[in-house]
Amino acid sequence: MAEVHLSKVVKRYGSLEVVHGIDLEVAHNEFVVLVGPSGCGKSTTLRMIAGLEEISDGELKIGDRVVNSLPPRSRNISMVFQSYALYPHMTVRENLGFGLKIAGMKPEDIIPRVDEASAILGLEKFMDRLPANLSGGQRQRVAMGRAIVRHPDVFLFDEPLSNLDAKLRGQMRVEIKKLHQRVKTTVIYVTHDQVEAMTLADRIVIMRDGYVEQVGTPTDVFENPANTFVAGFIGSPPMNQLEGVVENGGARLTDGTLVQMPEDIASKLSDGAKVVIGFRPDAFAPKGHSLHPEDRSLEIALPVIISEPLGTETIIYTQLGGKEVQAKMLDPHPLQDGESLTFTLDLERLHVFDGETGKSMRA
Amino acid sequence: MLRLTLFVAMMILVVPGAWVVLTAFRPNVEVMARPPVWIPQQWTLNNFLGIFGFLPDRQQGLPVPSYFINSMVISLTSTFVAILVGMMGGYAFARYRFKGKGALFLSFMLSRTVPGVALSLPLFILWSKIGLIDTKFGLILVYMAINIPFTIWLTDGFFRQIPADLSEAAQIDGCTRWQAFWKVEFPLARSGLASAGIFAFLTAWNEFALASQLTRTTASKTMPVGLMDFTAQFTVDWTGMSAMAVLIIIPALILTFIVQKHLIAGLTFGGVKG
Amino acid sequence: MKFFRSPQATPYLLLMPAIIVILAVVLVPLLVSFWTSFTSYNLVRPDSLYNFVGLRNYKRLWGNEDFWWAFGRTVVFITIALNLEMLMGLGLALLVNRITWGQRTLRTIMMFPMMFSPILVGFQFKYLFNDSVGLVNNALFSLGLITKPIPWLVDGFLANFSIIVAEMWMSTSIFAILLMAGLLAMPKDPIEAAKVDGCNALQVFRHITLPFLMPFIWIAMTIRSLDVARAYDMVKIMTNGGPAGRTELIWTLMTRTGYQNSQMGMANAMGYVSILLSIAFTIMFYRNLSKARVFMGGAQ
Ligand SMILES: Nc1ncnc2c1ncn2[C@@H]1O[C@H](COP(=O)(O)OP(=O)(O)OP(=O)(O)O)[C@@H](O)[C@H]1O
Ligand SMILES: [Mg+2]
Repeated sequence: MAEVHLSKVVKRYGSLEVVHGIDLEVAHNEFVVLVGPSGCGKSTTLRMIAGLEEISDGELKIGDRVVNSLPPRSRNISMVFQSYALYPHMTVRENLGFGLKIAGMKPEDIIPRVDEASAILGLEKFMDRLPANLSGGQRQRVAMGRAIVRHPDVFLFDEPLSNLDAKLRGQMRVEIKKLHQRVKTTVIYVTHDQVEAMTLADRIVIMRDGYVEQVGTPTDVFENPANTFVAGFIGSPPMNQLEGVVENGGARLTDGTLVQMPEDIASKLSDGAKVVIGFRPDAFAPKGHSLHPEDRSLEIALPVIISEPLGTETIIYTQLGGKEVQAKMLDPHPLQDGESLTFTLDLERLHVFDGETGKSMRA
Repeated sequence: MLRLTLFVAMMILVVPGAWVVLTAFRPNVEVMARPPVWIPQQWTLNNFLGIFGFLPDRQQGLPVPSYFINSMVISLTSTFVAILVGMMGGYAFARYRFKGKGALFLSFMLSRTVPGVALSLPLFILWSKIGLIDTKFGLILVYMAINIPFTIWLTDGFFRQIPADLSEAAQIDGCTRWQAFWKVEFPLARSGLASAGIFAFLTAWNEFALASQLTRTTASKTMPVGLMDFTAQFTVDWTGMSAMAVLIIIPALILTFIVQKHLIAGLTFGGVKG
Repeated sequence: MKFFRSPQATPYLLLMPAIIVILAVVLVPLLVSFWTSFTSYNLVRPDSLYNFVGLRNYKRLWGNEDFWWAFGRTVVFITIALNLEMLMGLGLALLVNRITWGQRTLRTIMMFPMMFSPILVGFQFKYLFNDSVGLVNNALFSLGLITKPIPWLVDGFLANFSIIVAEMWMSTSIFAILLMAGLLAMPKDPIEAAKVDGCNALQVFRHITLPFLMPFIWIAMTIRSLDVARAYDMVKIMTNGGPAGRTELIWTLMTRTGYQNSQMGMANAMGYVSILLSIAFTIMFYRNLSKARVFMGGAQ
């Protein structure tokens, strides 16, 4: 059993605090992804869990042990580095077996473990090569193999796919997912790619500037973003966000358009309050192409500025509330630039955020 | 034109050394001959036998064998220790951030700037007081001090070229920091360390200014000091001196060729990438 | 005590042996030297080590014409030698870089002088420039260029010339080799871009190659300036400051004063001047290096 508990974990470099008291519980065999923009402290957090960075404050538990002051080797974890960090002077076989050898395991016990890992990852053909003679994807596999041979309690990944090209990244993503199904362990995975986060995670932790912004399942953070930051970060294309002022249970946008708000939210707001309304492109569709045609908060004719046909859907750029917004048209037909269309906005899927704090009003 | 210039340049680099080597293998009469003898007509090993004292009829006042042994012992020992100590220092500079790092690094480099001759004066006074004058140990200490800063500089560069990830990966694989160093970083830095070692060896092997003042007798005199004594002797024995010169060159020559590639890379990139 | 067990202490512990050795063998002697330079210490009278005379040694140096000649000669010597070596080294590097075959062999030949002990180089040129048996005079005779021997090491001007030749022979290849490494590391794109932009060969060199090489030039200068004083060994064996003090450098004058004339106090004062001189040269080049490598993108 290996849960990971972080409570009020802080990292300071001298007087500069870069991680501000993170709380997180990772359950046994759970796949948790830390995601956030560059420099938000993901790697730092992961490296504190690994024992590669000292924890300045707070408590870290793996299983029931507080491991704050334990060196990496005593934490029974393994880690896949962004650069893979394969030992250049050792063959693939030696790379895989290194950790076991260090642990004092006998060669005859090491062999089956190494063979098992290489079989899982399809490395049999490369066992006697040096890392320099492997392709990027193969190196990546060796790095993962090196992590799994040790049967660790916790797997740590720091952007393991970011050095691969787009296609290979997609393949390896699936492989990591399969691997997790096969080798059940607790996984903490760092990435700044929200697609990776959505597809891999049981739960996503969204970080910004050393703070946790939201923790939740992929659907949860997608459907119910806790604030404007999460709303903008998760989902592609990103959520449209428009500023407005509350007026009669609706939000008056800067261009004068009035957007109806769901009643439960409107009841919490008084006239004149500043809000940000948010809606995903698929909630804003040309009339007749909407998923939920009944409840609508807005019906408006707008010109198509430009359209991007993607096959099964078309992304339409138009103008609303003084900003460019994106709409999504399912089951599309060809469009002319400049053509006027009637768009409907799905009331159910309208998000309203506090204009000052950016917090979601749904909670 | 290009090739001609190049050829002349290379000749200038090779001929002076080659001339000394040729002289080492010719009889003394050829040196004095007029018109000059360019290529030795009678090759001979007598000059070498002479300086090693195997030819009793040749007047020979210098105990070259003990100079040679002194030089070897002093250079090897000081190199070994300097590499060990310097490697630790270089590693600290390459891998850790700590207070006073820049100042400390600069101090090491400045300590290397002090000319050997200038340092020899106070060392002469001090070593006389504590009885280290004319001992191998006294000279070993000095050569360690000369070589440590440069070794730090070189090894800092070598270790920096090795990604820090590797040591971290090894620690996660179960190594202590110490094991991670010996099993991963050290093997990767080995060729660089070897060239740093040869650099240190050459410095010690070739050093004259300090050795000439801190040694007195066969107990500690080194080859360069011996060569100087030789030239200061009453009769000029060009062939004998050339033979001694060849003995000084050979070990240096062999070692340098072994590591030339790493040496250049280490010097340049250690410095330029800072 | 607790500090030494904490992780922050590790780098200091690693550096401890190096620090101790440098303190014992460089810093303490420098302090002794400093003290001695304010005494009338004479090797023949040991107790004079405690005879404090204030700035007397320095004052005497200030008024000592021989010292100033030696000092000036040393500065001129270093400046001429380093600059010529750099230019010749650059030329050699560009030359070797132009050809495509046998670079390795050429580089090996260029390493040749680097492994020579300065005392050996001195001996070698003492022999080459010897007026009766030296290669140089022999060759000039055979070519019929001279009829009586040229006194290379006996004439004041020629002796200085010979010493500079020896010094250049010893050190030019260090520059050449380091600059070759620089040329090798140089990216080809900017050169091609400049050619496309209409630069001729000279302009490419002036605006692209040379700026890129600057850090390598300063590195070579810094490395060289660290041990300019090894010219002492060479001069010592070639002329020992002669004829009549015409090749006297600050280093030979210093040892003569200290060991032959036993005036250790005075010698140490000169020693301090020479140390400051070396440091000044090194710092000058090192600062240029730091400036130059900023655009190389090096971490500090
Ligand atoms: N040794 C250090 N000293 C000072 N600040 C540091 C140090 N290491 C990292 N930081 C700072 O800590 C913050 C978090 O860094 P971290 O590497 O965790 O970011 P990240 O979320 O992993 O970003 P990326 O996606 O780019 O890898 C950054 O602002 C970084 O500048
Ligand atoms: Mg990171």
